[in-house]
Amino acid sequence: MSDTSVEVRQRIRELLVDLFNGDRFVGTVSDSVSLREAGVSSTALVSLLVAMEDAFGFEWDDDVQPEVLRSIDSLAGYVVALRN
Amino acid sequence: MAAELRVPAGVDPDAVIGCRPVPWPHGPAQQFAAGRRAAAAALASAGSADRDVPRDPDGRPCFPRGFAGSISHTDHLAVAVVVPGAEAVGVDIEDMTVTPRMARFVLRERERRTLLPPVGVFTPRDLFAVKEAAFKAMNGAGALGEFLFWRIELSRSDDALVASYRGEPVPVWVRSEADLSFAVAIRR
Repeated sequence: MSDTSVEVRQRIRELLVDLFNGDRFVGTVSDSVSLREAGVSSTALVSLLVAMEDAFGFEWDDDVQPEVLRSIDSLAGYVVALRN
Repeated sequence: MAAELRVPAGVDPDAVIGCRPVPWPHGPAQQFAAGRRAAAAALASAGSADRDVPRDPDGRPCFPRGFAGSISHTDHLAVAVVVPGAEAVGVDIEDMTVTPRMARFVLRERERRTLLPPVGVFTPRDLFAVKEAAFKAMNGAGALGEFLFWRIELSRSDDALVASYRGEPVPVWVRSEADLSFAVAIRR
């Protein structure tokens, strides 16, 4: 895993910690697990996507595929691909 | 937070609702369990002998045959709605603030212009709940494939909103209270 990928994952975790007011919940969520199945609500997911736009300086494509938004891994992969 | 909810005006009179509080510490496990208790209560009221709602392989709640239903929860309240004989039901309750930025993310320009004040009467949180409820009703059988709930398009009808995706319409009713929005979508 590249340093960039590790940094992006860490930043996404920080955004989730901000959304959930602490890391009690986020600390239980692995990078590969489905965020929705882990208990992230639709409002929290949209909040995260908006926060990612600000944190990483991009806008989500209208046609982004659902699997991209599945997990911390897939979200980070999308951001890293954009940067490359 | 309201301890009980009433179904939105205009919803099918056969619709039955169950509500249960989510106990401390209000985490995913407590929310899941409260949702199943709410579903069991709704199924009992609807006359179903079977009150178990297991998860299907995709994680969706699997209601007994003939008793279409759906579950939603906030951190503090779980709700289930069962509509006997319906093809599919979708329910959503939302108590989170939907910021203007989030509203722009999930609502199209036409939806914001025609459904939000001053032209419309709905709040961004109402419309968020409407799209999520419609998504559950549409996605229950998985026939439309995997898609994102905000891709659903909303328009007004006489007594409900109509949510559409790929030409598949579903009526949705929403009840707006001070601290939450409660939406119910029913496919016949």
